[in-house]
Amino acid sequence: MSGFRNHPLLELRRADEREELRAAMAGLDRELPLRVPVVVSGRRTGGEGQTSIDPCAPERIVARWRAATEEEIGRALAAAEASAWPRTAIAERAAALERTAGLLDRDRRRLAALIVREAGKPWAESDAEVCEAIDFLRLYAEAARELDEDLLQAPGERNELRLVPRGPAAVISPWNFPLSIPAGMVSAALVMGSPVVFKPAEQTPATGAAFVEALLGSGVPTDALHLLPGDAAVGRRLVGAPEVATIAFTGSLAVGLEIHRRAYERTEGVHYLKRIVAELGGKNCVIVDSDADLDETVPEIVRSAYGYAGQKCSAAARLLAHRRIHARLCERLAGAVELLRVGPAEDFTTDVPALIDADAVTKVRGYAGLCQGRELARADAPTGGQYFVPTLAGDLPEDSPVLREEVFGPLLTVEAVRDLDEAVRRIRSLPQALTGGIFSRHPEHVERLVRELTAGNLYVNRHITGAVVGRQPFGGNGLSGTGARTGSRRYLWRFTDDQVICENTLRHGLELS
Amino acid sequence: MGNSERDGGPPDPIDARIREIAHEIRVAEPRLPFRDRLSDAALTHLEGRRELRAALLRFVDAAPACHGPRERGAHLRAYLRQAPREQLPLPLRALAADPLGPALVPLGGAATRPAIRLLAHRFIAGRDAPAARSVLRRAWDRGEAFTLDLLGEATVTAGECDAYRDRCLAALDYLTELSAGWPAHPLLAEADRHGPLARVNLSVKLTALTPLLRAEAPERGASEAAARLRPLLRRARDLGAHLHLDMEWVDTRETLLSAVEALLAEEEFRSGPSAGIVVQAYLRDAGETLERVIDSPVCARQVPLTVRLVKGAYWEHESAEAGQVGWEPPVWATKGDTDRCFEALTRRLIELGDRVRPAIASHNLRSLSHAIAYHESRGGHRADIELQVLRGLGDSLARALAATAHRVRVYTPVGDLVAGMAYLVRRLLENSSSQGFLLQERSRPLEELLEPPR
Repeated sequence: MSGFRNHPLLELRRADEREELRAAMAGLDRELPLRVPVVVSGRRTGGEGQTSIDPCAPERIVARWRAATEEEIGRALAAAEASAWPRTAIAERAAALERTAGLLDRDRRRLAALIVREAGKPWAESDAEVCEAIDFLRLYAEAARELDEDLLQAPGERNELRLVPRGPAAVISPWNFPLSIPAGMVSAALVMGSPVVFKPAEQTPATGAAFVEALLGSGVPTDALHLLPGDAAVGRRLVGAPEVATIAFTGSLAVGLEIHRRAYERTEGVHYLKRIVAELGGKNCVIVDSDADLDETVPEIVRSAYGYAGQKCSAAARLLAHRRIHARLCERLAGAVELLRVGPAEDFTTDVPALIDADAVTKVRGYAGLCQGRELARADAPTGGQYFVPTLAGDLPEDSPVLREEVFGPLLTVEAVRDLDEAVRRIRSLPQALTGGIFSRHPEHVERLVRELTAGNLYVNRHITGAVVGRQPFGGNGLSGTGARTGSRRYLWRFTDDQVICENTLRHGLELS
Repeated sequence: MGNSERDGGPPDPIDARIREIAHEIRVAEPRLPFRDRLSDAALTHLEGRRELRAALLRFVDAAPACHGPRERGAHLRAYLRQAPREQLPLPLRALAADPLGPALVPLGGAATRPAIRLLAHRFIAGRDAPAARSVLRRAWDRGEAFTLDLLGEATVTAGECDAYRDRCLAALDYLTELSAGWPAHPLLAEADRHGPLARVNLSVKLTALTPLLRAEAPERGASEAAARLRPLLRRARDLGAHLHLDMEWVDTRETLLSAVEALLAEEEFRSGPSAGIVVQAYLRDAGETLERVIDSPVCARQVPLTVRLVKGAYWEHESAEAGQVGWEPPVWATKGDTDRCFEALTRRLIELGDRVRPAIASHNLRSLSHAIAYHESRGGHRADIELQVLRGLGDSLARALAATAHRVRVYTPVGDLVAGMAYLVRRLLENSSSQGFLLQERSRPLEELLEPPR
């Protein structure tokens, strides 16, 4: 890590800083509803028909948009394939990313406000997301310039490894990090020389569009980046397209598995063996050892499970507590959950905002129904809208789907375990392994758990969300993803092909240097 | 040699007086009792042994959560194994070593409980206020007043905050009854220029009164804390006791100040009780905080506000937290900066003496002597400035100050010895290491200690 530094968060503990954000929100609100265009080769064609809304006030329309047509998708793919972007020098590509980072920084308050509105994410987390996007751009720009591997050299030959672009990448991103996740995937592909066709989530197209405009405004050529808003049909079309070499996807396991199937369905006219870089969520477990410091464990768990209403792929979903500490933990955790304030994301006093859409409410309600009678605590929540009561549940039957499936809502389960081995056994029986938490003050227990758990990101004695670029490269193992770690230099290797050149440097017994 | 001379400027006119006062106090410092000398030696021993010190502090922190001697011993062994072997004293080295160590675990665990208790007795006056009665009385007879601090676990639920409030109420009642029978003591100057001083003095923590501390939404914690603080203020007013609000990490400051400002402006508290807040000199904006408080309605009441000036105990926490998110730390970078700020604010507080009651809290001889000398130079009476030290760290200093006829108050924690010690370790010791663990002051030569801060 040479010059890279994480972009500083806003100091929201300062009243004047909060005031500036409120002003930015007022400014954004005057522009609503935004228009999200389809952008193909720099041509922006707007449309209506679809809307994105404020999850915390569903009657407020944030943006109007329409899905990209079959014809537009075709033109975008053709332009991407013909683009000269792969032949642009890597330094130039990196510089475009850095300029984009500068633009995001300049507009950081407006972008944070847009995330608050369109994704229903509270201010602190929205601001952190803008910083994360900036970090991705800057880290990848820096890393791409230096990405290299020294090969062994022998007398009379020169060996060289070059990284060569792979062809167009399709980026399909989720709504829960509408700026930073696409920023990571799009910028990694672009900097390694892949033109990009980008489909933002249906719920958050305006945030995705704002990012595309920043890239185009920073000198990324119009044939190298296309914005194709749409629903699952657009995604399916991109995944199956023969022009696409790399698919970068963050989303649900079900869709991730479908992408894997569909990517290789079509064989005629295919130019690439598609490479899939996928991050697919998890059922994230936290172990609380008998010696854990509950004073700190409780707030850290609450933050992990209920922050952004549990709608982070890294969120804590299942708590396994040593039987000796279980009762006390439940009691204190229940008291803490009851204090959570549910309300609009733009209100600085809110702990838990609304869920992203009505479907999410239905889904979480279904899981909560399975916990009926086993609730240990419920917070108060406004009735109506897309709010959902933060819930803590215990003693679920071992085969309950709530213990195995990703809920993606403010619902945490807690269960007692006889010892750490039993906790490990239960966690390892889950197919996904994204994040995990360990609360223990025994260094040997921590080390043992780290060795036995397979999660991609493990956190010890702290919350399990909020991975920081360059510090906690992020991604899952098992069915949680293809193993790439966003926010690391190594991530870029997934977006490039290797080319090895071996040159004979011997001529008539004379070694040329 | 003061730096003013070195810098070529005129020496501070009170510099000579600072030295005189410091010598007087140093000479009056009694030899510590054996038990304290023992723990002193142990703590001093740890000064140069960072990893060993960390291992033992982590152990003290975890010990109350352990189940029986075997588990305690296993924790101790695991922590010790993370420290370099050459730092370990022989018995600990055996416990950490293979293959003998595991066999020693139960023994090691059994031995730790009395060891922690021994250390805890030094810092904690008793399980609760009644258990501390003789400690408080003996101190009073020596001329040392107290402010009591109720140790406990952090509060994460409303019920825990209510329980803390109730403990505070009970302590106020008990201490009032207890101290009513104490003899009048001229040294304690039971009145200053503003009027009578309360014998009962309770320090409370905002973080124990509300779990809703949100740096970006101070109003939330403030209204909740105020609801629990109100009955405490009423009781203190009715009993004639003093209630002091401790300051913790900077993210809680706005919550605390806005709660206090709103509450003390209420009509029912205009004439009482006596209340106090804390200003932490290690914060770069400590001066602004002081001025804000001075200009607030808190200082327009009939009873003057007590302002306790401290250096601050969360330096590492503040630095690390700022470093993680890319902010300039809210604290000064060096101890010299903090000390300088402390002296500047000391002077400002003393100058404000007609509006507030200054309480200068430090174990640094220079800082205290400077406050005394400056107060004197302005013609102030000894009764009008209070000096504060922590039990366990400033014991001999407190005695010396009392013996040299200064008004001194000892910040006295009470609570479960083992659990309370863990809590104290977390909140106090581990946070103050970089800015000079308080004990090292004693081992440094006086001349060095008395240099003006640079």
